Amino acid sequence: MSVTRSEVAKAYEKLQTQAKKKVESLKEKPLVTVGTATCGRASGALEIFNLFQEEIKKNGLDVNVMEVGCMGHCYAEPLVTIYKPGFPSLCYGSVDEGKAQRLINDYLINDDPCFEFAMAALEPNDFFPTFADYPRGVYEYKIVMELCGLINPEDIDHYIAHDGYAALVKVLNMDPDDVIEEIKNSKLRGRGGAGFPTGIKWELCRKAPGSPKYVICNADEGDPGAFMDRALLESNPHQMLEGLIIAAYAVGASQGYIYVRAEYPLAVTRLQTALDQARSKGLLGDSILGSDFSFDVKIFQGSGAFVCGEETALIASIEGKPGIPSHRPPYPATQGLHGKPTLINNVKTLSYVPHIIRKGAEWFKSIGTPESPGTAVFALAGKVKNTGLAEVPMGTTIRDLIFYVGDGIRDEKKFKAVQIGGPSGGCLPESALDLPIDFDSLQEAGAMMGSGGLVVLDEDDCMVEIARFFLDFTQKESCGKCTFCRLGTKQMLEILTDITKGKGNPEDIDLLWELAEDVKAGSLCGLGKTAPNPVLTTIRYFRDEYEAHVNEGRCPALMCKDLIMYYIIPEKCSKLCDVCIGSCPTEAIYTRPDMLKAIDQEKCVKCNSCLVACPPQYKAVIKISPPRPVEEGEMKQDE
Amino acid sequence: MSKEVKIIIDGKEIKAREGEKLLWVALDNGIYIPHLCAKRDAEKPDASCRLCFVEVEGMPNPVTSCTLPVKDGMVVRTRTPRVDRLVSTAFELLLSNHRLGCGKCPKNRSCELQTIAKERGLKLKLTRLRPLERDLPVDDSPQGFIYDPSRCVLCGQCVWVCHNKVGVGAIGFVRRGIERKMATFGEVPLAESRCTQCGECVEVCPVGALTKKEEDEKQAESA
Amino acid sequence: MELLEGEEELIHSEVDSIFQEFTPERENLIPVLQETQKRLKYLPKLAMQKIAEKIGIPEVDVYSVATFYNQFRLYPPGKNQIKVCMGTACHMMGGHIILESFERRLGIKEGETTPDREFSLERVACVGCCALAPVVVVNDKVEPKVSPIRVDGILLSYEIEKKLEEKEKDAEEEGKSQ
Repeated sequence: MSVTRSEVAKAYEKLQTQAKKKVESLKEKPLVTVGTATCGRASGALEIFNLFQEEIKKNGLDVNVMEVGCMGHCYAEPLVTIYKPGFPSLCYGSVDEGKAQRLINDYLINDDPCFEFAMAALEPNDFFPTFADYPRGVYEYKIVMELCGLINPEDIDHYIAHDGYAALVKVLNMDPDDVIEEIKNSKLRGRGGAGFPTGIKWELCRKAPGSPKYVICNADEGDPGAFMDRALLESNPHQMLEGLIIAAYAVGASQGYIYVRAEYPLAVTRLQTALDQARSKGLLGDSILGSDFSFDVKIFQGSGAFVCGEETALIASIEGKPGIPSHRPPYPATQGLHGKPTLINNVKTLSYVPHIIRKGAEWFKSIGTPESPGTAVFALAGKVKNTGLAEVPMGTTIRDLIFYVGDGIRDEKKFKAVQIGGPSGGCLPESALDLPIDFDSLQEAGAMMGSGGLVVLDEDDCMVEIARFFLDFTQKESCGKCTFCRLGTKQMLEILTDITKGKGNPEDIDLLWELAEDVKAGSLCGLGKTAPNPVLTTIRYFRDEYEAHVNEGRCPALMCKDLIMYYIIPEKCSKLCDVCIGSCPTEAIYTRPDMLKAIDQEKCVKCNSCLVACPPQYKAVIKISPPRPVEEGEMKQDE
Repeated sequence: MSKEVKIIIDGKEIKAREGEKLLWVALDNGIYIPHLCAKRDAEKPDASCRLCFVEVEGMPNPVTSCTLPVKDGMVVRTRTPRVDRLVSTAFELLLSNHRLGCGKCPKNRSCELQTIAKERGLKLKLTRLRPLERDLPVDDSPQGFIYDPSRCVLCGQCVWVCHNKVGVGAIGFVRRGIERKMATFGEVPLAESRCTQCGECVEVCPVGALTKKEEDEKQAESA
Repeated sequence: MELLEGEEELIHSEVDSIFQEFTPERENLIPVLQETQKRLKYLPKLAMQKIAEKIGIPEVDVYSVATFYNQFRLYPPGKNQIKVCMGTACHMMGGHIILESFERRLGIKEGETTPDREFSLERVACVGCCALAPVVVVNDKVEPKVSPIRVDGILLSYEIEKKLEEKEKDAEEEGKSQ
């Protein structure tokens, strides 16, 4: 054995020396990197990437251009970083064609780094602040996102040059039980939602009789509003893969699966590339790095069913069946795929593993809180200024996350609530802002870590509508097997829909609460058991909004379409402007004899276009709830 | 044979085989627990109808008895406020999606829903919930029986016998969520599918979804 | 749905060639259906029957799977597939208004295809571009921050493209005939 062990280390050393040489040589010349993960592409990153390539060629410049993944600053996509010897490495946000041209002419051809466009420098220097100098940087602590956006996700050498697969080498020299002990000791908890201790899950699977054993990476990220798994897979697929191989070694599995959504085509492609490259380097397949451990991985593309995030449904799906959950126990760790012991871990969970192995359980426990060590990756979305991905230590308060990392609420609006954990999570009010983010605190407040979606809601968002939206989602995604989930969520949705239409009865709120409790207690799987959370939390914290809908037919947030009408205040409207008329898709706006504009309520579809279109100097379009006839001059005193 | 154990259900001491599912132990000993989807010979319990809840000492929440293997010394109660609340909600949920009107149903007086209502003192009408009735066409294409999907409670008894007892596999569950239903390939009438019209599915249907044509006619005459 | 001329042969040859790549076992059912849809754009009944026969399972089992997952389509889609994201962020930023705008503009409901088979309209759960909400995916292109007014623009660009193609085709044919 000792011979094999040193062989493994030697084989890795060779790989790493080559990789480092290759990566270092890249920066001997100027290097331009463009973030081309899905979010970047949606903002036109590929066009910018092509532009750089073409211009560099046209101008005969000796510059490398490279695609990288996502740094998490989605609000500033497309993101370009330029490394030029003798200059600090600078990041530029929202790069359009114009900025790209300037960067090429002024910086690449000449030596002006265009500080006016720069967002931040990557390392401390005398000229420009780094990300760490901003409030966001103070709170962020990057572990799994550390290399995202910095390395080429389609080249394994970039990962290896940054000590990638070193943890695997270490593990191959360890006893599997010691590996499990290390993970247990780190108190790593599953990042898929419920926060089950990862090490214990590994141990259960290792000890379970039966062979072969399987390991599965759950990348079926289906929460509407969560995209961190996609970003991790598109930006650093090898990190997760290394974690998966280590998990397989620890539990004694020889076959692995990555269950990834087919809706993430780029992630699928980058994973495929990662697998191929890992195989060609001897890091995957028969006798890995010359050891006696063999393991290979298949990609399974999920066909779009949120319920497949549930372990038993995911397994049914791989077996070629509809993704319908079954009763647990038996748990997959003892009886999973094809009835064999099966370990299922989330992308983020597996991504932490190499770090813990390399730096040790004690290091991991020094971050975050005692019961939830490590960091949490959140997808910040909704009415927050800096949308994107943020990785912060567990225990960071929601306030810090929203107001410092996310830079507060957009358009000077007032914060109302934050929805954490997607359809399984809940809406927390302002009073919960100082809650530390960890598995247990969130659960106590009625929300859930879920997979980490965090949607910020402001005064314009109706809490009943939010609850209805999530329930509509879970109801549509219910597999339909069990009574509570199939019919209970449908009944709840009917009630909520009635309320948002102003057709609710006073007793509906209590009935909704009772049903929510029963669906939670009586459903077969996690989807049904957590589906009522958005309803329960919104009733708990925002009951007054429910009551306004039911008792007054009024939507306080002016969001529920059936309870509002659009109105043009004649006193504010201008005879000289008819922007609203052009913006209306249904010709509902007409010019009155006095040349002011008005809305034909019969034709109005409440699309909000006129309100957006009305120039800020007039602000003549308003929403009124409940709809009612308005007397001329009535609105004059407003504002 | 697994070892014999003693358990207590509703204060009554009962002998059972270790690992046997509690639901069957109770039923075999004359203790009624409501159930629709449970199949004695199935390898894995469906646990989909959510009617067979019981409370077990030492367990924090009510559990489905069809999935619970008995252990020596287990103390079970089939009626507690929490169990009753779950059962009554599950039952009313099923009714909200079931075409009511027992008088016109050929299964009148032999329907499992009626048994549950009688045993648990539940009403055979909606008290709190909205009707979610599905208006699906009745399939009367087979010679001897009728399939009325609006009366189906999705217990899966018919699908199970068709696949596992008869070995034909003409019917299955299709679609998802509220749209889920028992149907044939392509949702064509039974007579146009590979159904052999053996009638086994009609025998196991606990409600009036699959009924014999003769019963249906009798019911029509008497009504 | 009636098969078009030559479609039956195409289904047979494609399914046969797919099973050159995949062994006929239950675990491959979903990958096989995905590949079938990739090649034929939807899952014709004949293809499902053939797949059931190859794998040796009842055809209703294939149908159960095909009707369970969002990805599978039982009818041919439009030439341009419009997917409106209905994730949380998109919903809050007006995704439902965008969906309605498309419905109004195309005269079809979500899940339908225009009679000329040019456009089909679907909703998707979340495409993971929450920061750019509301998002619409046309074919594989993500359109960020869509407003009701941009809906017209997006459709127009595809209509213009089609007209250009037709013109080119006409010109080509003219060229040929000369």
